[in-house]
Formats: sequence, structure tokens, C-alpha cells
Amino acid sequence: MTEETVANAKQGLVAAGASLVWRRRSILWWVFAVNAVLGAMGTLPAALQLNRALHHTLAGEQLVSGFDLGMFYELQRLPEVNLFRFTTSSYVFAFLFALFMLFVSGGIFEVYCQDRRLDTGDFFTASGAFLWRFVRLTLFSLVPFALIREAYFHVEKASDYLGDKVPADQVGFGIWLVGMIIIVLLALFVRLWFDIAKVRAVAEKERRMWPNMWMACVITVRQLRTLLWMYLCISLVAWISLLVAFLIWTKIPPTAIWATFVLLELVMLVQLGARLWQTASATVWYKRHAEMVSADSVHYTTPHPQEVIKAQPEPQPQLSLYPETELPPADA
Amino acid sequence: MQFQRFVLPFAVWLFCSASLAAQSPFAPKVLGPLSQRVVAYEIDAKYDPAQHTVDATEMLTYRNLTGKPLDRFPFHLYLNAFQPKSTWVREAHRDGGFRSSRVAEWDDNDFGSNEVTSLEVVGMGDLTKQMKFISPDDGNPDDKTVFEVRLPHPIASGQDVQFKITFRAKFPEVVARTGYKRRFLLAGQWFPKVGVWWHAAWNCHQFHAMTEFFADFGTYDVKITLPKDYVIGATGVQTSDSDNGNGTKTVAFHAEDVHDFAWTADPNFKVIESQFDGSVGPVKIRLLSYTSHKSSWQRYVDVLKGTMQRFDQWYGPYPYAQITVVDPPHGGEEAGGMEYPTFITAGTDWFAFKGNHETELVTEHEFGHQYWYGMVATNEFENGWLDEGINSYSEVKVLDSMYGRNASSVNLLGVQEGDGSVLRSYYLPVAETDSLSRPSYTDMSERSYAGVTYGKTATMLISLEAIVGERTLRNALHTYFMKYRFTHPTQEDFLRTVNEVAGRDLKWYWDQAVYGTQVFDYVVLRADSTPTNWYEKDATEKPGETMYETQVILQRKGDFIFPVETEIKFDNGESTRERWDGRDRWVRYVYHKQAQVRSVELDPDHRITLDSNYLNNSYVTKPQREATKKIATYWMFLTQLLAHFLSWLV
Repeated sequence: MTEETVANAKQGLVAAGASLVWRRRSILWWVFAVNAVLGAMGTLPAALQLNRALHHTLAGEQLVSGFDLGMFYELQRLPEVNLFRFTTSSYVFAFLFALFMLFVSGGIFEVYCQDRRLDTGDFFTASGAFLWRFVRLTLFSLVPFALIREAYFHVEKASDYLGDKVPADQVGFGIWLVGMIIIVLLALFVRLWFDIAKVRAVAEKERRMWPNMWMACVITVRQLRTLLWMYLCISLVAWISLLVAFLIWTKIPPTAIWATFVLLELVMLVQLGARLWQTASATVWYKRHAEMVSADSVHYTTPHPQEVIKAQPEPQPQLSLYPETELPPADA
Repeated sequence: MQFQRFVLPFAVWLFCSASLAAQSPFAPKVLGPLSQRVVAYEIDAKYDPAQHTVDATEMLTYRNLTGKPLDRFPFHLYLNAFQPKSTWVREAHRDGGFRSSRVAEWDDNDFGSNEVTSLEVVGMGDLTKQMKFISPDDGNPDDKTVFEVRLPHPIASGQDVQFKITFRAKFPEVVARTGYKRRFLLAGQWFPKVGVWWHAAWNCHQFHAMTEFFADFGTYDVKITLPKDYVIGATGVQTSDSDNGNGTKTVAFHAEDVHDFAWTADPNFKVIESQFDGSVGPVKIRLLSYTSHKSSWQRYVDVLKGTMQRFDQWYGPYPYAQITVVDPPHGGEEAGGMEYPTFITAGTDWFAFKGNHETELVTEHEFGHQYWYGMVATNEFENGWLDEGINSYSEVKVLDSMYGRNASSVNLLGVQEGDGSVLRSYYLPVAETDSLSRPSYTDMSERSYAGVTYGKTATMLISLEAIVGERTLRNALHTYFMKYRFTHPTQEDFLRTVNEVAGRDLKWYWDQAVYGTQVFDYVVLRADSTPTNWYEKDATEKPGETMYETQVILQRKGDFIFPVETEIKFDNGESTRERWDGRDRWVRYVYHKQAQVRSVELDPDHRITLDSNYLNNSYVTKPQREATKKIATYWMFLTQLLAHFLSWLV
């Protein structure tokens, strides 16, 4: 069995990333578990309220054997139920998960960079060590993400405006679709850029995030085709899996609640796995890139061993062990 | 010679007969007149697509059938509503405009107008200077949607008077049932239209944001000149189409026994034709749509035929020769979902999913208006529920019979909703605002108008089936239609007809459902079983042997009094039904059985849709958790997905 390392150049980047996620799969299980627990906690208030409303009524049957929108409307409309006020809880726990991921990112990158299991203490030490750096990077990333959001609104406006000029309905949608593809690619680019910055921060123990961010940007732009294709491939896998899950979901009987639950959780597992896969692939790429850069730099700064002229000792004047000294005259 | 003597005259007769038949506005087995024809409009209009204007001359012949001399005539100028200071804009801005989402900000494209450049009364001369704008509803001096002209001398009862009006109509970008979008035009409410003499007075309301129209029956002969590449459709039937040789054409239409005339034009229209074979002969279906909506063409035709068949069977025949369906272009949605005599506008999307019956719903609804508005021509300003509401009830019945009661609105990916449920959801939030009998144009808001007019009427008629039966109510609507078609009935006419057909006085119901705003809410307050030997210390409960006293308490929480049926089920499989008149605030039922109560359900057949809370209509002793689990599963997934998305950003 050959030794697998993050920089194993025989494997493609995407495959190497997947392999790394699988080798360090305990991270995936933990991330999924935390996501599920926080999701459940976010759901709990609504579930309790629903239980109070539906505990002793036959009305809920219409939601089980199919999904009657009218009955769902009834549920959310009644002041004593008012389901949508519990969305706050979901937002809060979703935000907590985002914070959790921000915190453990340092540990995850450290594990992927080193490609070895860290014990809990080391993992959280790494997480803590890089937290402030990653917080800064996240704050920096808000700027390009905000610009993308703005671009999204412009795409919406443009598709409405241009679509409105022509009789064919599809034109507006076509413009919107093209715009959305560009938006998604831009978002992937920004994600990639800041992932590379995180990898650099961990791999190079870089402390200065501002130059690190720009260096990551330069690297990402120079290697854009390779990197973006890598992220896009992984995203496509995630989206296709979502589509497959949707098709399976349409085949599940409406009363099969546990089967639905398992399917939806599998979807989440794949989505979270895909995100870690992107992270791992970026790490693999960077390690290979770093080795290549390092090798290249040796090539250009150090003469080839065969070309090295063995240094010959320069002839030195024969000196006595003790320097000759002019003795003073005897009569001096 | 033989050919000349016999064949040629026969051929000429055949050609003329065919031409006349083609031009008849009625189905083959129908002969007019069907209505008391009060008005006869002859309009010669020229459309300028660049300016979105129509310049026209209108010759209106008004027959005075009022039984008294008339010297004052009010006219509607509906397009003047689309001006910043009009009552329509004021109300739409304040309360929400029906269909109009753009009134929050004024845009120059919203401007519309009807400008009368001259008004002459034949035999009395030019009376243009006698025209005076009036605001009978709110006194708004800036509202120009109604003008009045006083004649030099009155028109005697039984006499005709002829108005020759020259006017220019400027259309807004499509808003509230009329206007242009790109090269599309829906010309609705576009010509000066005389008011209705009704209940010994002129009824000519200003144009309001939340109501529709009211007009007299008569005949229409309308010629429209427009660029010849335009495809045109209109009320009635087309009688001629002539090329003017200057890049324009003139198309003539004729309609009888209708009370409005609308038309549409667009060079991009595709014409799809079909035929419905009704009880009075074939009716031509003419659909004007777009290539991009091709996937909906068959859906339009199918639902229209299905609807026409049911209306023909249930309520009465459709007597006209043609029905024109307009599918507005994208961006022109506010032109959709509107009814004019023999001419309706619907609406769809290029990606309209088959399980979403919106396309079918709007087509069905607008066709239904051919009966409840078109022929039974109630006053939409004052009694919106008589056309929109009764039509919404008919819509529920037709769509339910076509797609199933629980899936007539949506049946997509396991998600279902019946049309009755949708209409109920309009009503419930506004149950305590306006009564049905309140003049519609004075309703509190757009939401209240829509919720009460459409939602409450349909909901209260569905609930009425629990009292009189579905078949009886259908018969009542049939009787109402046959008795009042081509007239202007009132709400009392409708209520009286239902009473008569049902064979009972339903005043108690109308007082609450039509004239009142009482809220309907019945609740199963308590349901439990106690062993009758509860006082025995060592007694043990044995299934099937222990005697239980079961107590069920029902309560009427709302003020709406209505007899309800309740089903009580026991754990030995027995069940019983009780009927409570609901007059008291609560009722108690007690049973002694060797079984415990399992469930209690009010209205077990789910017929009383007026009930404002379905959740408290039943009580099950065994906890029900499946629905909670199901919703919680999806809720949790969405929370996780949101969490994942947020974490992707960091």
C-alpha cells in the first residue's frame, strides 16, 4: 500500500481532496453532528408549538397523508400557533453553526495541511490559534460578497428591464439565468480566494492577513482555471446529489416520515461533505503548488550539482606555526 | 341555363346564409333579442400604436324605458381614473389598488385619459359646453370619471335620443384591466358609456379602486382601424376586415345583448381556434396567445370546454356564437383575469407547471363571468359579491369536479390545496371587516374587498350546502340564472330565489352571512371517559367490560349560530352522530358504554368552511404526533441548510 499524502501528485486534485476528506472523515462526522444538533435545537420551539396544536386534533391528518397547504396556512395563521414567529430560533442556531465553523476552520485546515489526526487538544489549539486571523479574513470577505449581492440585484433589474422590452417571456429568464451563472462563478471565486488565504495562513503560519489576502488573490487569479474548475466540479457533484435526492423524495410516500428524514439528513451530509471537500482540495492544491514553487526556486538559485566546480583550495603562503618575528638585536 | 336558373341563385342564397350565420352574434339555436336593449353604440375608432391613443366617434342611441322623461344623462369616462388626483388613484394609493401594485409611486406611463372633444345630441345641437364633471360618491372635484350633460328639453318615455360623441382615449401602460404593453393593447373601458337608470335613479358611480362596472344591455357595432399587421379580437363577432391600402385595415365587430365592448390587438398574437358544442349549438373558441405560451394553449382550450360544459349543464346555455380568450403577454399581467362580454382575459407563464392550476383557475373564473356579470348583470359597484362571489363559488364547484376537491388549486409534488381552501384563506383574515351587503366600493381595503367579495361569498355558499344540499343550491343558481339573465337583479333577488328553491326561509343565515360579520367558530371543548365505578378502591379497568361515562362538551365560541353535526367514536368501533342547533353557547352529551371515547369531530364531512379554526373542531384521546414529526423534519432540514449556507460564507 502506497503512502498517501496531501501532495501525492499522482492523484487528480478533486480526487485527492475527496481522499483527504475520507481519510480525515471524523471531521465530517463532527461537522454533520453539530449541524444536525443545532438544526434540531433551532427546530425545537416550533416543534413543541406544533405538538401543542396538533396533539389532540384530527386536523393534522391532512398534513400527513399528503401536504395540504390550506391546513398549513391554518397552522401559521392562528394566533395561538403562529408558526413563523419561531423562525427566529432557526436563524439563531444557523448563525451559531456559522460561528462554530468559523472557529473550527483553523483546526480543519491544520488537519488537512498536516494530513494527520490531531488529538482534541491540538485540534482546538489550532482552531484557537487561527481564529482571529480567520475572523479578519471573514470580515475582509464581506466586501466582495457584498459586491456580489449588489451585482445580483443588478442582474435582477437588468433581466426585468431587458425582458420587458421583448415579447418572448424566456428572454428575461435567459438573461437572469446567465447573470446567475456569472454570480455563482463570482461567489465561487471569492470563496476560493479566501480559502487559499486560509490555507496560506495555516501552511505558512502567516500572521499578516492583509498581505496574505492579496497574495492569495494573486495566486487564485494566476491559477484561476485550475482552481475554479476544481471548486465547480465539487459544487456540481453537490448540486447533482441534491437533484437526485429530490427525485428520490418524489418517490417516497408522504406518510414515510422517517424515510424522508433519513434522505434529508443524507442530503445535508453530502452538502457539508462537499464543502469540506472544497477545503481539502484547496489545501492539496496549495501544498502541491508550494512544493512546486519551492522546487522551482531551488532550480533557479542553486547550481546543478553536476555543474558545481569543486572548490580548490587556493594556494596559501606557507606560514610557520609561529610567525617569524624579527628578533631584536642581541645587544639591544 | 339550368345552372343560371337554379344553381346560381341557390349558391348565392347559400353564400349569403353562410355569411349571415357567420356574422350572427348568437349560437345557432338562439334568436335575439335576449335583453331589453336600452343602448345601441356605433363606434368608429382609429388606433395609433405609437401614441397608444384611439380617436373615435361614437353614436349612442339611448331608448328611454324608464317610464319618465329624462333630461339629464351621466356618462362614465373610466380612463380618466388614471390621473394623479382621481378618486381611483387616491383610493389605490391609500388602501391598495385592486390588481394595481404600482400606485405607490406615480409614473408618467400610468397616465390615461378619456377626452370628449365634442358632444352633440341629434336634433338639439352641440352640447359640449353643457358637459359637467360630477363626483356623486365622494365629491372629489379632481375626479373626472363621470360627466353629466343636461339636455335643453327632456326625452319622453319610450323615445330615443342620439348622442354623437367625438373622443380621444389615451391608454396607460397596462394597469387595472386596461392599457398597453409593448405592442399589445387591451382596450377596456375605453369609450364614453352612459349610466344605468336603476331603481328610479341614475346609477353612475365614479371609478373606484376596488370595484368594477355596471352598464345597460344593448347592441354594439364597432369599427377599428389599426396597422394591418395587428391581430385583433373583440367582444361579439367579426363582421368585416378591409385593407385600407395605406398600411392600415379596418375591422368591424357586431355584438347584441351585451353591456360592454372591449378589444385587444397585438401583431405578435397567435390565433388558436376550437369549438364547444353546447346545448344551443356550437360556440367558437378563439384564443389569442403567444408562441412562448404554446405549452398552455391546450390547457386553455381544455379547461374552457370543461367549464362551458358544466355551466351549460348546471346553470343554463351560453347563447353567444363565440368566446374570445386573451392571453396577455408577460409584463402585462394586470390585463389578465378580466371579463368582458364574450371576451375574457386569462393569464399563464411559459413555465407554468401542470400541477399548478392557476392558468385553469383564471380561465374558468373569467368564463364564469359570462354568466355572473355578462348575462346576470348585477351592479358590480354596489354588490360585488353577486358576480365575483357567486362566480367564485361556481369556480370551486367546476374546478373541484375537474381536479378533485383537495387538489383543484394545486397538486404539485405531493403538495395539494383545494380552490375552496384558497378562497377561505382570503376570507378568514378579514372576517370581521366588511359585510357582503355593504356597497363594495366603500369596503375597508383591497384586502377586505377581495377577502369578503370573493372569499366569503364562496365560503358561505359552500357552507350553505350543509343546510340545503349541494344539488338544491345548484338548482337555485340555475333558477336564478334563468330568471334574471339579461337583467340587473339585486342581492335580495338572489336571496329570495335561494329561499324559494330551497323551500325554506334562510333569513337567519343571510342575516349572519350576508348582512352581518359574525364569526363562525365551534370547538370541541372536552371529551373524556371515566369508569362509572370510579369510587371503588380496588376496581380495575377491563377493556370491553368496564362501564364508562363519556362526556363530550361542544362550545360555540363565535357569534355565528349554525346547526352542526358531531361524530363521536369509541374504542370498540362504535360511533354516533349528534346534531346541535348551536343556539346555546355550549352543549353536553353523555354516554354510558363499555367503551371509552376515542375521538370527537365537529362537522365530520368537512362542509362548513365558514368555521374560522379547524384545529379545535376535533379531539382525539390518543396523541397525534405524525404531522408534527413531518413538519419538524422539513423545518430542521431548512434550518440545517440555512446554517450550511451561512457557514459557506465564512
